[in-house]
Order: sequence, then C-alpha cells, then structure tokens
Amino acid sequence: MTTETLDRENTMQDDAQDVQTDAQGTDGQRTHAIDISTLKRAGAIKNIAEEETALEVKDLKLYYGEKAALHGVNMVIPKKRVTAFIGPSGCGKSTLLRCFNRMNDLVDGCRIEGEILLENKDIYQRNVEVAELRRKVGMVFQKPNPFPKSIYENVAYGLRIQGINKKRVLDETVEWSLRSAALWDEVKDRLNDSALGLSGGQQQRLVIARTVAVKPEVLLLDEPASALDPLSTLKIEELIHQLKDDFTIVIVTHNMQQAARVSDYTAFMYMGNLIEFGNTDELFTNPQKKQTEDYITGRYG
Amino acid sequence: MRTPLRKWFKDGDPWIWFNAGAVAISMIMVFGLLALIASRGLVHFWAHDVLQAELVGRDGQTMPIIGELVETEDVPAEQLRGAGYKVAPDKEFLQRNLMKLGNRDVYGTDFKWVIDESLSDRSYPEQVVVLERREWGNFYGFISRIMENGETIASGNAAWPELNQRIERALDIYGEIHDIEKVEIGGINSRMERLRLKQRGLELRGNDTPENLLSIQEDRAVLDAEYKLLQERLLELYAKVSRDTLIAETIEGKEVRIELSKIVRAYQPNNMSLFDKIIFYVEKVVEFVSDDPREANTEGGIFPAIYGTILMVILMSVIVTPFGVVAAVYLREYASQGPMTRIIRIAVNNLAGVPSIVYGVFGLGFFIYFVGSGIDHAFFPEALPSPTFGTGGLLWASITLAILTLPVVIVATEEGLSRIPRSIREGSLALGATKAETLWRVVLPMASPAMMTGVILAIARAAGEVAPLMLVGVVKLAPSLPLDGNYPFLHLDQKFMHLGFHIYDVGFQSPNVEAARPLVYATSLLLVIVIALLNLTAVSIRNQLREKYKALEM
Repeated sequence: MTTETLDRENTMQDDAQDVQTDAQGTDGQRTHAIDISTLKRAGAIKNIAEEETALEVKDLKLYYGEKAALHGVNMVIPKKRVTAFIGPSGCGKSTLLRCFNRMNDLVDGCRIEGEILLENKDIYQRNVEVAELRRKVGMVFQKPNPFPKSIYENVAYGLRIQGINKKRVLDETVEWSLRSAALWDEVKDRLNDSALGLSGGQQQRLVIARTVAVKPEVLLLDEPASALDPLSTLKIEELIHQLKDDFTIVIVTHNMQQAARVSDYTAFMYMGNLIEFGNTDELFTNPQKKQTEDYITGRYG
Repeated sequence: MRTPLRKWFKDGDPWIWFNAGAVAISMIMVFGLLALIASRGLVHFWAHDVLQAELVGRDGQTMPIIGELVETEDVPAEQLRGAGYKVAPDKEFLQRNLMKLGNRDVYGTDFKWVIDESLSDRSYPEQVVVLERREWGNFYGFISRIMENGETIASGNAAWPELNQRIERALDIYGEIHDIEKVEIGGINSRMERLRLKQRGLELRGNDTPENLLSIQEDRAVLDAEYKLLQERLLELYAKVSRDTLIAETIEGKEVRIELSKIVRAYQPNNMSLFDKIIFYVEKVVEFVSDDPREANTEGGIFPAIYGTILMVILMSVIVTPFGVVAAVYLREYASQGPMTRIIRIAVNNLAGVPSIVYGVFGLGFFIYFVGSGIDHAFFPEALPSPTFGTGGLLWASITLAILTLPVVIVATEEGLSRIPRSIREGSLALGATKAETLWRVVLPMASPAMMTGVILAIARAAGEVAPLMLVGVVKLAPSLPLDGNYPFLHLDQKFMHLGFHIYDVGFQSPNVEAARPLVYATSLLLVIVIALLNLTAVSIRNQLREKYKALEM
C-alpha cells in the first residue's frame, strides 16, 4: 500500500470520527447528523437536469402479490455519477435497485407496472433478453458471493458465459478488472487459488471485479459494505470513487455517512415512495422535505 | 440428599448418560456382529490339527477315527441316555464334539457328532495327511503309495515329498486345461454361437443366398479347425494329468485310489509349524477371494460373486445418478412449487419404503417379460425362442436396483440443491448467465457432494439387497463372468452371481450344511468388506468434491 493511500485512509477515518462526535450533538447549533464541510468532494456537482441520463424510471409500481412495495416512483439516474438510495429498512430502496436489472423476476408473485428506460428502451418489454440486460446492468450484493472457483475463474466467469474462451483475452480482462477493483496487487500471485480463501473485503472487491469484467454500463451496489469491517468499507468506498469515471453507479446504503461520502446524488425513500432526490450536498445540508430532515437527523429509521 | 439428585436431573446429566448409553449399545452391537462374523468365518481357513482317537460306540465296541474338531457343545445326559448311550448316573451334562471326518466317498457323510467321553487314546500323529479334492470333499488318512501309470514309484513316508512335487505338476497341467477350456474354447464357442445367430438372422430376413451361407461356412470351418487343434491338445493334457495316482489309506486301513489331478492341495497339519500354518492360511484366504466355487459352492472361492456384486453396483450407480439428479433438478429448480410437486415429493419418499421384493416383481413383470421380450422380438429374433433380454440378467438387475435406490438419490440431491445459497445463484444471474448456465456452471458443481451422498446411500442399499435380485438375474452358479474377453465384453444379458444371494444359497440351499456354515460367515464378512470398500471409495470422491466446492459459511 502506498503512503498516499494510507494518508487518504487516515483522513477518511478521521472524518468518520468527526461525523460521529458531531452526531452526538457536541455542537448544539447544528441539527444535521453529518458535517458536510469535512467531506472532501472532487469536482463541482451540477444540477440533475444538466446531467446525461443513464436510466429513467417512469411511474414504477411494484407489487409482491397483493401488497404494493413501490407506489409510483419517478426518477432519472445520471450517467457516470454515483447515486445513493437511502431510507429506513423496508422502504423499497433495494427493491427499486433490483428492478434495474430485473432481479425481481426471480421472486414469485412479483408484478411491475410502469417503465424503466435504459438507452430509451423499456427494459420490461417482452422482447428484452434478461441475460443481455444483466450484462449491461451489473450488480453487487450485500454479502460477498464469490463462486467456489479460483480467483481467475471468478473474474472470467462472465466472459466465459458469453462464449469468450481465448486465453489472451481472458488474461487481459482479468488483470484489468482486478486492477479496476484495486485487488490485483493482493492476488496476482495466487490467481489460481480458491476465491473462498480471500478475506471478506477482498471477496467483495473480487465480486466487483467480476461484475466490472463484463463491462456493464450501470453498476448496482446493494449495501456493498454492510457486511464488512471499517477498513474494508473504506477500501470499497475508495473504489467507488475510482469506478465512477467509467460506470454509472447506483448504491443502496443504510449508512448515511457513507451515502454522503461516496455519492453525487442521493434519493431518500420512505414507505415505497421517493420522498426527495437531489444533489447529495443539498439533500444533507438543506433537505426540502420534513421526512428527509427527520430521517437524516436521526429521528426515525 | 434430595437437592443433589434434583440438581443432577436439572443439569441434564441423566440425559447425557442415557444418550451415551444408547450410542454405546449400538456400537457394541455393530462390533459384536462384526466380531462374530469374523471369528466364525476366518477360523475356517486355519489348518486345524487332526485328532486321532479310539471311539467307543454305543454297543461298547471301539473303532479308530481321525478328523478335525470343529465345534463343541453341552448336551443333557438324559437326552443321551434316551438315545441309548451308557452315561454315568451322576452326570447331568456331557460334552459333545462335532468332528469333520471327511472321506465322504467312504463314509457317506463327512461330519460326525461324538461324545467327548467316548474318545480315548488321543494323539496327533504327524503323518496324517489331509487332501483337498475337487470331488467328495476332504480326505483324512495316510499315504500308502504313489503310482505312475500303474507302477509304484514311492511308498510310506518317502512318498510325501514325491507327492507334493507331483501334485504341483498336476496342478500346472490342470491350470493349462482350465485356460484352454474356459478362455480359448469358450471364445470359440461364443464366436460359433454368433455365426449361428448370423445364419439364422440371414434366413429370417430371406438373405440366405449361397454366397452369404458360404462365407459363414468358411468362417465355421476355420473355427472348427481351431477347435480340433485345441481338442487334440486337451486330450494330450488329459493323458498327462492322469498319469499319477495316489493310493491312500483311511484310518480303518481301507485303501482309496485318488487321481492326483483331482487333488487341489495336500498338507500334514500335525507336522506344520506356526509359520507354515500362517502361510497356509494366507493361501486359503487368497483362494477364497480369487477362485471359482467348487462342490455346490461349499468349497473353493467366491470370486464370481464378488465380481458380479461390484459390477452390478457400479452399473446401478451409473444408471441411477443421472436419473436421480435430473429428476431432482426439475423438481427443485424448474417445477413450480405447489400441491403437485408436494404430492410428487411424498410419492418419491414413499417409494423408498416399498419392500424390495416388490421391486423385484416389478422388474420381472415389466422389464423382463414386457420390455425384455419386446427387445428380443425387435432386435434378437434370430436367437428366439431362447431369450436374450427376455430373461433375468445383469442389465435388468441393475435397472431394478436403480429404481429401488432412485428416491434416495433424488432426496439427497434436492437437499443439496436447496442448500446452495440464493446469493450465489443471483451472483451468476447478475453477470448475464441464464438459469440453465447458472445451474450447469455453478449450482450443480456445488451440489455434487450432496449427489455423492445420495449415491453412497444408494450403494449401501443396493449392495446388500438380495430379494429382488433373485427374480431378475442372480443365479447360484454362473458359467462365465459378465465382463470378459469375448465380444461384446460386457454381457448385459447374462446372469451373474451375487454375494448376498450366495450367502442365502450356501446357508439355506446347501446339500452339506455343516461344511457350508463357516463359508456363510466368511462370505458375509466379505460382503460387509465389499460394501465398506465401495462406500469408502464414494466417500473419498465426495470429500474431494466437498473440498473443491466448499460452500460459503452463510
């Protein structure tokens, strides 16, 4: 690990401490849980309206059997930005995320109304091939789920599925993907060892590398760090910063500090409704809705 | 006093003792059973000393006997008095010995119960000879002289080394004869039979043109010539092997002529050192597992039965595994879970409880009489009316047992499939794999240890099954092995021998119960060992798979 990354991690850890002390309310003036000024954010964030669109959600309703889980969501996910979904448990943020690559198809009795446009095409149309869609919209889950194969085969899995078996191509892609996931240096000497021998944080980065290897347009992260220790969490967050240059990232998180740290835009959801969606800084410093303010100040959730 | 007892109960100690006791009893029973089988079966191969004694008969007359002491038991004196024996009035119980006297050709039986008290002048003379023969069982007695083409070569004690040499020579020639008869003539016979079937086939199809018949005739002539040659060689060998004759004496002094070609083994047990006996023992055990049976299965080895058992179990596994796995994959992965799948699952579980003989009847009625005779009419019309697949055989036995064990494999595989974490499947699907690709590349490999568990249970069940096999293809004595050097090498239509059935046959159908009894134990022990070995192989394969596809700790 270079000194630079170490420094950076240290600052990030400090930040986290700051946030915690703030949250305990040492400063009586502020009502917000997070002191945004301590968060270092690169580049100015524009208004959503000025961003290019990656995904567009139009009046999306989702039912599990008779019970509605999403009541008409409308939103636009900007391209090559990090969008975070926050909200209390059961608010529908993971459900919404899983709509983007039709993972909900696997759930019995799940029904969807409305549209999600990817490149101006509704992904719920009948002629859409789901496997093809999932190649364009990759997903990383809450718990690291590497296959019980070697590290190399894990990363090459998506390519092999597509019928790519040329060793040169695979080798290149595996290296590129592992480098993208900041894992290459740690595993380059044991690519043929079982992926199950890696630590939890390494496994999660491996899963990200595996997803990145098929070069999706959108990367869905479903609480990618919730099962990891703080140090691994920081590494994943760092990785998200790097990956947003190439991918549109949508992340679901329980952790508001994490959302504030990594995302450009944040959506707050509550009871299956999108309450507020906007620039992360603004949402955390100056929420427009009472519910949002209550949640980020820790009154419920 | 009261409190400690209550505390003892509350701690759960009684339950621990209770459970430990149950485990201990189970272990004792299992090991006791194995020990019983082993001790009864394994002593059979030991070269027991041969006892010579004077036996006082019921009428007070004495006669000399020699034989091995096989077993002793206590009998009530009253019973013996009733049978006409003179027994001292103060005795309540008397010891009775079972002696193996051999010489069935002389005495008619080779076992005799004698009362221990009526044996006197016991001795273990060194020159007593035991001859294992191909017919009439063992001979116990003394060497008189050896004759070669009617002339005496050696007699008395000097004849012993001479005898051993000549027996070795006879055995060599006998082995040669056996090879020619079994392998070479057997091969010619099977080719002849195929020619006959070919000709019959041509006749049936109306293709029996003179050219075709001529070519068959030519082939047959070649085989005939080969056969003639072999027959000449056989005649020569038979002449050679019957050169020597042994004149032996029983204890009563009766002379018995024994051709050396009929002797398998000669030994002087009273003259053997412990080391000799150990070597003898090993030889006998090797013979037992590697030789063909003799004398209605009461002597010799059980190799064909071991061979048939293993081959049948392997074939059964090869058939049952794909079927069970495919059924389980459909039930668990593709079928929509509802009342219908629940009913199917209950039905599958119930199949495991159906008595095995029912499967045997089903195999006989459906596979053999219906499918088998259908196959015969469609593919082997030239062999009719003698059935090819329309009778019990290796294939039908394996399929019947595969059906018998199918539920086990289905249940185990389903269990394995349901234990694959959902997150792993989702991970694969999220990378753009279809459901089938996910199944094939991730789920099935991960479930393979569970499939192996199913196969292990299936093997354990199938290898020990006897009842259905009696109906679908197992026989007391099969003339040839189901896998041999003759085309088509694996004879799926052939009947075969099986250890389980062999135990039943030797134990309950044998003409010579006393001689067969130790073999029942020995065969049982071997069956247990064979099943254990088959299982261990499967277990080690499973452990390797488990290591490879270690499931995530979730």
